Amino acid sequence: MAMRGTVKTLHFRLNGKREATEVEDDELLLTTLRERFSLKSVKEACSIGECGVCTVLIDDEPHYSCLTLASRVEGREVKTVEFLGDMDMLHPLQESFITHGAVQCGYCTPAMLLVGYSLLRKHPQPTEDQIREAISGNLCRCTGYTQIIEAIRDAAPFFESHTKD
Amino acid sequence: MFVGEELVKVDARAKVAGRAAFAYDLKTENMLFACVFRSERRHGRIRHIDLGEALALEGVVRILSAKDIPGKNLFGAIRKDQPFLADGTVRFAGEPILIVVGKDEDIARRALTLIKVDYEELCPILCAADAALTPVLVHEGGNMLSCRTLRKGDVDRGFADADVVAENTFGTQWVDHAFMETEAGFAYPDGDGRIVIRSSTQNVHYKRAEVAAMLGVPEERIRVLQATTGGGFGGKLDVTVEGFLGLAVYHLKQPVMMRYTREESFLSNTKRHPLSIEYKTGARKDGTLTAVKVGIIGDTGPYGSYGETVCLRAAVHATGPYEVPHVWVDSRMFFTNNPLSGAMRGFGMPQLAFAHESQMDEIASLLRIDPLEIRMRNALRKGSLTATSQVLSASAGLLETLWQIEPFWRRRQKRGKGAGFGLGCMYYGIGNTGVPNPANAHVELGEDGLVILHTGACDIGQGSDTVLLQILLDTLSLDPRCVVLDRGDTDTSEDAGSSSASRQTYVSGKAVYEAGLKMREFLERHGYYRGKDLREIYRFAKDERPLRFDGYFDPPAGGIDRETSQGVPYATYGFATHMAEVQVEEATGECRVRKVHASHDVGKAVNPKLVRGQIQGGVAMGVGFALMEEFIPGKTSSFDTYYLPTSMDIPEIEVMLVEDPEPTGPYGAKGVGEPALVPQAAGIVNAIRDAVGVKVYELPCNVERLKILLEGKEKA
Amino acid sequence: MRLHFSSLTPRTKGEALTYLSDLDRAKLLAGGTDLLVRMKRGESHGYLIDIAALEGLSGAVLDGARIRVGAASTHRSISLDPLVLESARSLARAASWIGSPQVRTVGTIGGNLVNASPAADSIPPLLVHDALLTLESMEGERTERVEEFITAPYRTTITGKEMLTAISLEPLPAYEEGYRRVAKRAAWAISRLGIAWSILEQDGAFADVRLAIGSCTPLPFRARSMERFLLGRKRETSVIREAVKICLDEIRRISGERPSFTYKLPVVRDLLQGILGGR
Repeated sequence: MAMRGTVKTLHFRLNGKREATEVEDDELLLTTLRERFSLKSVKEACSIGECGVCTVLIDDEPHYSCLTLASRVEGREVKTVEFLGDMDMLHPLQESFITHGAVQCGYCTPAMLLVGYSLLRKHPQPTEDQIREAISGNLCRCTGYTQIIEAIRDAAPFFESHTKD
Repeated sequence: MFVGEELVKVDARAKVAGRAAFAYDLKTENMLFACVFRSERRHGRIRHIDLGEALALEGVVRILSAKDIPGKNLFGAIRKDQPFLADGTVRFAGEPILIVVGKDEDIARRALTLIKVDYEELCPILCAADAALTPVLVHEGGNMLSCRTLRKGDVDRGFADADVVAENTFGTQWVDHAFMETEAGFAYPDGDGRIVIRSSTQNVHYKRAEVAAMLGVPEERIRVLQATTGGGFGGKLDVTVEGFLGLAVYHLKQPVMMRYTREESFLSNTKRHPLSIEYKTGARKDGTLTAVKVGIIGDTGPYGSYGETVCLRAAVHATGPYEVPHVWVDSRMFFTNNPLSGAMRGFGMPQLAFAHESQMDEIASLLRIDPLEIRMRNALRKGSLTATSQVLSASAGLLETLWQIEPFWRRRQKRGKGAGFGLGCMYYGIGNTGVPNPANAHVELGEDGLVILHTGACDIGQGSDTVLLQILLDTLSLDPRCVVLDRGDTDTSEDAGSSSASRQTYVSGKAVYEAGLKMREFLERHGYYRGKDLREIYRFAKDERPLRFDGYFDPPAGGIDRETSQGVPYATYGFATHMAEVQVEEATGECRVRKVHASHDVGKAVNPKLVRGQIQGGVAMGVGFALMEEFIPGKTSSFDTYYLPTSMDIPEIEVMLVEDPEPTGPYGAKGVGEPALVPQAAGIVNAIRDAVGVKVYELPCNVERLKILLEGKEKA
Repeated sequence: MRLHFSSLTPRTKGEALTYLSDLDRAKLLAGGTDLLVRMKRGESHGYLIDIAALEGLSGAVLDGARIRVGAASTHRSISLDPLVLESARSLARAASWIGSPQVRTVGTIGGNLVNASPAADSIPPLLVHDALLTLESMEGERTERVEEFITAPYRTTITGKEMLTAISLEPLPAYEEGYRRVAKRAAWAISRLGIAWSILEQDGAFADVRLAIGSCTPLPFRARSMERFLLGRKRETSVIREAVKICLDEIRRISGERPSFTYKLPVVRDLLQGILGGR
């Protein structure tokens, strides 16, 4: 019988803020973000790293949070879509998704936005091929990806890699 | 002007901000968690269930079985033949037997592993063709769910008139909806002891009716609300979590949450019907079709679900969008112990289009006529008789879609070895086949001067919320800030029918329009268009309250004959042509779809951006259907064993729209949700044939199958 | 399925090895994309020892005449590493195909090897470069060739107390080299076939040929019979045709006639024609 996980304190930056929280040894980052921080934007759709909707950024790189131990983010920076903007003030990338029709059912949307954000930070003028490749680890069943790719491409000139307070 | 404008989707902001609350996002601390114990056997009788260990697990609150169902333990979209919980017999792997309710998900799912069931194995029927002949029964009364026949003219004479005949058999696979959000919902008792259910769903009134019947209570005792729904595609039309939640709350009187794991969703959800299609086409030298004879056999799994609908739609559309004087179709669905098949985007038409478009290319090849040319020659148009002898009196823009594709077709140039181009055409009846499927809607003027649109039409991502609002805004010439949407609540809206059969823009849209017209008349009378304020009008009109205006629309389709399927099955049809460019690597069998041109007659594009989004999504789903998606019972468990197209699999897509107005539709609009998908796989298959001379008769034409076909061709 | 285990994050390799030695039912965790999925599906371990960030386990460096790749190097880093790109290009190419971008960010070559799927993309390139694996434990260190390390599909010689720490490769900088895989969709898919090759042509003849095929035979396969045949022979169609036949015969000899061969062998045949022909 496996041992029940012990509890540790995790220190990390979350959406621009320093946070400390208890986490269990066997806790996955997906659970930490959704349950301890009520960040419901981080979705779950397969739990085995085969769909991408649980994607979050760790040090601005996309990771599947369903396969990441919470303890892995000790001392690191985590971003969810809440970092980009909120209802009153959306990030240009979020606005671009809206205007390009890149949102249908919306379930894959937070993950797609984070991947787009991560890409634009590294490649301010990505080609469509680069965008396609960057989101190749994120499934969408509704849109056929086209308007998502266009949204990311057209957000590039307006992209700001800002930090939210 | 709102209709025709690319208004921003009303739910987009919340979704990009990550604030849109899907069912599971609304989980609260006080909710219990319910999950389903499912049959591992495909066919068996339950001899004994041992719940001892499961009940002893700390945190397990209750385990419910068929015995706990107070009302009727049978539901179904058409016939009520599917148990909520198996009562003695299990008929498919994944069939629900028990509901385990625990303090949290971890406990509930652990309890599942502690339940022991002793089955008496029964011989499973695993092949639709066998089902017709075997004495083993899935149900008393025989193994055939449905037989629909279409007879027009004299098909033997038609073949006698033909100069060429092509006869082939086509086969397709099980496909999963694979919506990104799995089935989920929660329920709780409200202050009046009613049961409130909020779920990921494509309909609300239907769910309410089924849950009420299951609990043996009047419908008013149940309230169903649609949560933000992460995709449907036909997989959230049948009762999924709603029945289980209703039963749990009925007994426990506490809030309960459910969500399916992805494995559970794959296992238990309905699938696209695998069809075997025998297709015989006759044509004259000049390319005009003389006769079409089609035999369809479908594997519907153990229960009816939407099998009858697929059976009928396949029969009615089997010829494809062409004028054929002599038509004979036999379409049959058989019960088996295979996965349950039901409603899946297109209701049999993506499968049939694969067949009818392959046949068109074969005939074209035999007669040495250009594939575009032969389609133009036979295309249905205004004044044509369909296979059901319906006269198309309006909104029949197939030729226009072909003309839009024509310049690209004529200019096509193969980029090298293995490159090919293919066409796929389709037509698709909007709304349910030959039966009433009305929608209600109503608008209300509220005290605060806001116009409230009440609709039961569920937005599953396709954008019906936005489209219905646009229609209302135009009908009332209103400022968007004055309108509020109340959607998907059985308490505050009337039945709009399901979000399926591509019907909501056309049917709910028209109902909204009708309601809007009535309110417009009222507003006109009260001087709104002369400058009066809505709040003023509300105060002034106190003798006319409630200020509620109802709209209703049922597509004017007369219905069809039971034996011949002749008549008017639909009031209107979508038409489309897709042109696909593929690149096949002959060494490996890999096929990449490089570009798709898609032209659709949508009557009127209420919101062109949303229409384009539907078509692009349909193209992607068509790529999956043609080249990689295959649910294999016993093998497929999740996305690691079921491949959806990734962004790297999707072609460049160019969408073109034709607007041939539908007189009975709101501002001329029809529908596009399923038309978007229907012709795509067909176009890819025809492109493969053009690229490498290989004829595809089985889907998916994946890497392995294509290479084996190529090898076969080499050897021949 | 909810996981239950304790986790430890050792600060040094020595600490990690001590944990492995002392604890029962302990498993090393690097990328986690294989292990955590298996655990979600029922595999149970009491302790996970997180070695992803351990010093000295990542990166590629020249070590004498060979290239030494740390076992915890991510697929991403390997696909971009200048040393690997220059002298073991097939490995860089193979790494760029594994999983998805998110998987490549955390998945490691060590994890790929220890998982030992017959479809693992890292295996054929390592065979081509005569890779030697270094396995360490509290008892000491041992070296083993990849072919000896993998004993059956998903089985290796690694003990529960050992850590794979490094993979050393023979650099082949002047060779014509590549990796080609075939899968059921364009990205994020298990390879149904994978071929790594490194060819040295001199004066129109094969001076050296190394070729390995993954996802075809139960055990890692290097086409040695074919390689021997090609040595010194002219790089021309008739030679290539003969060589391909030798390779296919060898595959059949090893595996017998498998159902998947109806598809796979013609693909191997046609891809080899192209590779050996220099296309």
